Amino acid sequence: MANFTTDGQLCIGREINVEPHQFNDLSSSFDIEETCKWISDHNFTKISLQFPDELLPVSTKVYEEIKKRIDIDLYILGDTSYASCCIDAVAAMHVKSDAVVHYGHTCFTKTNIPVYIVLPKSLLNVDKVMKGITEDKQAEENNKLCLFYGSEYDHCKDNLKRIWFQCFPRSYIAYIEKVDHKDRFLGRLVQDATGQTYSVDILEDCFCIFIGSRGQTIFNLTISVLAKGWYLFNPDKNKLEHIDETSWMKRRRFLVEKCKDAEVVGILVCKLAGEQTKEIISRMKQLCRINGKKNYIVSVGKPNVAKLANFPEIDIYVMIACPENDLYSNRDFYKPIVYPYELEVALNSKRDQYFTTHVTDYDDLLNGKRHHCEIDNIKEETDVSLITGRIRETKVGHSQESKMELEMKQNWALENIGNNLHERSWKGLEQKLGETEVKPAQTGRKGIPLQYNNEPK
Amino acid sequence: MVNFTVDEIRTMMDKKRNIRNMSVIAHVDHGKSTLTDSLVSKAGIIAGARAGETRFTDTRKDEQDRCITIKSTAISMFFELEEKDLVFITNADQREKNEKGFLINLIDSPGHVDFSSEVTAALRVTDGALVVVDCVSGVCVQTETVLRQAIAERIKPILFMNKMDRALLELQLESEELYQTFQRIVENVNVIIATYSDDSGPMGEVRVDPSKGSVGFGSGLHGWAFTLKQFSEMYADKFKIDLVKLMNRLWGENFFNAQTKKWSKQKDNDNKRSFCMYVLDPIYKVFDAIMNFKKEEIDNLLKKIGVTLKHEDSDKDGKALLKVVMRTWLPAGEALLQMIAIHLPSPVVAQKYRMEMLYEGPHDDEAAIGIKNCDPEAPLMMYVSKMVPTSDKGRFYAFGRVFSGKVVTGQKARIMGPNFQPGKKEDLYEKTIQRTILMMGRYVEAIEDVPSGNICGLVGVDQFLVKTGTITTFKNAHNMKVMKFSVSPVVRVAVEPKNPADLPKLVEGLKRLAKSDPMVQCINEESGEHIVAGAGELHLEICLKDLEEDHACIPIKKSDPVVSYRETVAEESDQMCLSKSPNKHNRLFMKAQPMPEGLPEDIDEGRVNPRDDFKTRARYLTEKYEYDVTEARKIWCFGPEGTGPNILVDCSKGVQYLNEIKDSVVAGFQWAAKEGVMAEENLRGVRFNIYDVTLHTDAIHRGGGQIIPTTRRCLYACLLTAQPRLMEPVYLCEIQCPEVAVGGIYGVLNRRRGHVFEESQVAGTPMFVVKAYLPVNESFGFTADLRSNTGGQAFPQCVFDHWQILPGDPCEPSSKPYVVVQETRKRKGLKEGLPDLNQYLDKL
Repeated sequence: MANFTTDGQLCIGREINVEPHQFNDLSSSFDIEETCKWISDHNFTKISLQFPDELLPVSTKVYEEIKKRIDIDLYILGDTSYASCCIDAVAAMHVKSDAVVHYGHTCFTKTNIPVYIVLPKSLLNVDKVMKGITEDKQAEENNKLCLFYGSEYDHCKDNLKRIWFQCFPRSYIAYIEKVDHKDRFLGRLVQDATGQTYSVDILEDCFCIFIGSRGQTIFNLTISVLAKGWYLFNPDKNKLEHIDETSWMKRRRFLVEKCKDAEVVGILVCKLAGEQTKEIISRMKQLCRINGKKNYIVSVGKPNVAKLANFPEIDIYVMIACPENDLYSNRDFYKPIVYPYELEVALNSKRDQYFTTHVTDYDDLLNGKRHHCEIDNIKEETDVSLITGRIRETKVGHSQESKMELEMKQNWALENIGNNLHERSWKGLEQKLGETEVKPAQTGRKGIPLQYNNEPK
Repeated sequence: MVNFTVDEIRTMMDKKRNIRNMSVIAHVDHGKSTLTDSLVSKAGIIAGARAGETRFTDTRKDEQDRCITIKSTAISMFFELEEKDLVFITNADQREKNEKGFLINLIDSPGHVDFSSEVTAALRVTDGALVVVDCVSGVCVQTETVLRQAIAERIKPILFMNKMDRALLELQLESEELYQTFQRIVENVNVIIATYSDDSGPMGEVRVDPSKGSVGFGSGLHGWAFTLKQFSEMYADKFKIDLVKLMNRLWGENFFNAQTKKWSKQKDNDNKRSFCMYVLDPIYKVFDAIMNFKKEEIDNLLKKIGVTLKHEDSDKDGKALLKVVMRTWLPAGEALLQMIAIHLPSPVVAQKYRMEMLYEGPHDDEAAIGIKNCDPEAPLMMYVSKMVPTSDKGRFYAFGRVFSGKVVTGQKARIMGPNFQPGKKEDLYEKTIQRTILMMGRYVEAIEDVPSGNICGLVGVDQFLVKTGTITTFKNAHNMKVMKFSVSPVVRVAVEPKNPADLPKLVEGLKRLAKSDPMVQCINEESGEHIVAGAGELHLEICLKDLEEDHACIPIKKSDPVVSYRETVAEESDQMCLSKSPNKHNRLFMKAQPMPEGLPEDIDEGRVNPRDDFKTRARYLTEKYEYDVTEARKIWCFGPEGTGPNILVDCSKGVQYLNEIKDSVVAGFQWAAKEGVMAEENLRGVRFNIYDVTLHTDAIHRGGGQIIPTTRRCLYACLLTAQPRLMEPVYLCEIQCPEVAVGGIYGVLNRRRGHVFEESQVAGTPMFVVKAYLPVNESFGFTADLRSNTGGQAFPQCVFDHWQILPGDPCEPSSKPYVVVQETRKRKGLKEGLPDLNQYLDKL
């Protein structure tokens, strides 16, 4: 056996460091009471509790706490398919759950299953923070301000709101709203001192301040909310710093050009279920089709460099994923990964070619949403690609296909696969009859692929 | 004014033996455009009196303002040769029977080295070249460069010694001295010609010879010129000597004794060089008389040389009178047009020997034969050498030469870009040619069709070509060879719109700019920056001005000029580099080593290239670079882009399944060669050896996903263990100046890391020529610096020469390369600091 597998002892004997979370008061840290109330109010009988990896150690304790209070079927979901910030509705459906209780960091995207979100909690010294901000922002008193905060501080939002409006009565606050609302943007809703809510568009002439730490959340807000400036206030450092992502935007515009150059687009699905997912995939497919680009749907679980490099013929990937996914900016991939919005800008001639704010959440691109835009039929034209320095041709595809065209297109696809194969030196189908030298059999390698016996140790 | 019509020209176009396609080439400021004016005035497009001042071919406003040619410009002219001159044309293919008229298509090209890509484009579509040399400064670096290019393209040269007026008026040279100067220039030119061709070659005799009439003398500015033929004609009757014989006597070591009326081959006390006596002396006398206001002598002389002044000229004196007299006596247009018609080849003659240099396909297919015979009935073969902007913004005329067949308005043709490969569809478009046009300086004229051997413009194909291409009606045609430029776009600036929202306009403008110049590169970099790359500061300045004013029409911000670097290695990797695939089941063992000196250049020039037969290539590498022959046969690929100056060599033995992962390894290599490990710049001069590979036995576990990223990691490890280095581009810089200024030049060069490798005096002049290597990065502002340090007496010409290692280890935080790497990484938005070897190297 030793020749075929690694020694199982290795795995069993491996020591793993687990740092137990220290939660003084489990019940308040995890909103146990509120959760139970929500469950009983809705008469749910089967509930899934979804934990991110770092909270798995306390999952059993939470389970017990809830079980103690109400006697229903509870399941713990761990190891999510894509990202722990998204609701794993599919896993929940496996056990036919009525609802999901989500713990840890969340991205607030919609799901078709009832969800109760339990936000993480961190301590915040509100007075100290306000002092830090007012000191720094004193000079710009005439400017309108808007306060954002990380979801871990939502538990002290009332206090925060009160002091904030005391200091800056004319300003706004973007508080976290768990329930869907027409003006909700990335889980946040903008409000003024009177409690009136607004769409994020009014922040255009505001300076925005985010209380929290650097990460995907502030990043997404910076690139997608148009404001006069973005500042991060990190309570640990007690300092205000300016956030500027213009160089990132430049890079994204380059990738938009790359989309135009691409002949084969891979639609990388990194999100489960949901009507929106289906809708955005078909929209991406339609965009590729009318621009005469071939497209393939690729679903490989959590994408990594090795998985995606298995399709060298694909020129660019458009990833359908949660906006909190950080793979978009990763440069280790063999072929770049773009947001659905970027493919839209590249291939939908009705969209403005120049963008200053980004749309990270593809949901907004769909019919009836903030950033929806009709897809226009394109003209056949040529221009010069500034990336390759070659002529780039826009081949007109057909947005609607009849049965006849479908048949013709199949041949077209075959022909093109043949083209790609043509470029390869090894096709795997050559018989090479009579070309291979006849040799007596020799002893081959021994051992397992991880370490053959003939290799130096 | 115009003394020919489009119809006349069209008739002439069919008489292919009476066509001369020629370019005017020279060093900057040697007077090409001014001389061209004399020709144009002869053809009658501009008034004769203004010749020399108008610079007809400088069509752009900035060209007129700066007095420098930037774009090459074509004009077609019609000219009739007299019966007595026609006898000089002996080759039957040089002249149609009973036809005295000649159609001359002339392209005036820029002389500044930064624009030499324009020269290359001009040479491609012409068969002959008028090489203009300023007889005061002699043969200069750019004269040599363009002449060399012309010979390489099989373009026949004729020589013109310009600015004789300066030699006479400013330098006051004695006639013997002047002869020696001429003689030296002729020799210099012939030495260059002999270096790159020999008279037994396919072009026949290429060297220029005053006694044959292929060398002209004169002054473009004053509008006069002559060859020995003109003077022989004056004396032939008097001496009763045959014209050709007399021409031979009037040059070289031929001396005449006026007393004894005897010719001699040696200089004696009482005889005089015939050239001085019969050619220069009369000219000297005219100059002397007019410039010194010797009224009586003037009248006397005028009678002798047969010049009668027009009434309006009679009250002129001094220089103005001199001009009129000389121009009437020895009209430049006449002499030049005779030289062109007699000594430059017709397309019929030229295409016979040029076909093999022009056509990539087999030399016996329909297209090749059509080109060879310049056959208007054969399939169309046209080469588009450049794009000329039209008055319609964003649209261009495709300018080029019909080598075979006819290009017709409304004809459907195949438009093939430089990346077209026969049998494939890439870079191939079948479109209709909307219009064919004749281009004449500032004017264009529509024309129904253009037969082989002519130069013309096309409307409607510009959208399908970036800069150049082949247009044909022959289905199996291959491409015409792409042009090789003598300069490279090594100077770069980043541009952005002043108003960020104008970005789409900038991008559109860059696309247009890319088309309008044969060499400029407009690049959108990975970081999203927009880069314009050109040959030098002047070239970039002009390009950016065009971009701002004509193409994008928005205010733009530009960065300081920078150069692009290359990454290379200095030693062989100090260890065998192993990288494991993500599943740990495939292992690659490789090393990097520097290429031997000269090999990267051989690859650049195409002497070693991926399309070669692998056995021939291996033999060449073995003989020249002592590569092991079995290894040299197993070069897997070149990179980046499949053609670059880095190679991947399979040095392994008996590895199972190796052929199956080749494509993946090659893909990884192309990736790493394009984005090196230090600063993601291109690699240069690196050879990677694959020594061993262990692969998983199941094909599914050794797919591209496992191999491509692993190859890149392994190559990065190889680079990091092989003393990585940066390379920077270096100019060859030639500076002309008087002796007193030489010291100042050394000072400036030293401060800029330049070094002088040659310093010599231009024989017969007080001028010195200093040749030096100067890093391009240090060349910004060099011209101005040099001028201020030499009192404006030194004028440099810089042309990209080679890549050189930037001294210092980029891994050493105090070194210059380290700073460059960090700056580049920052600009590209990469993590600052040095790449970590442990990220790429694995242990067993």
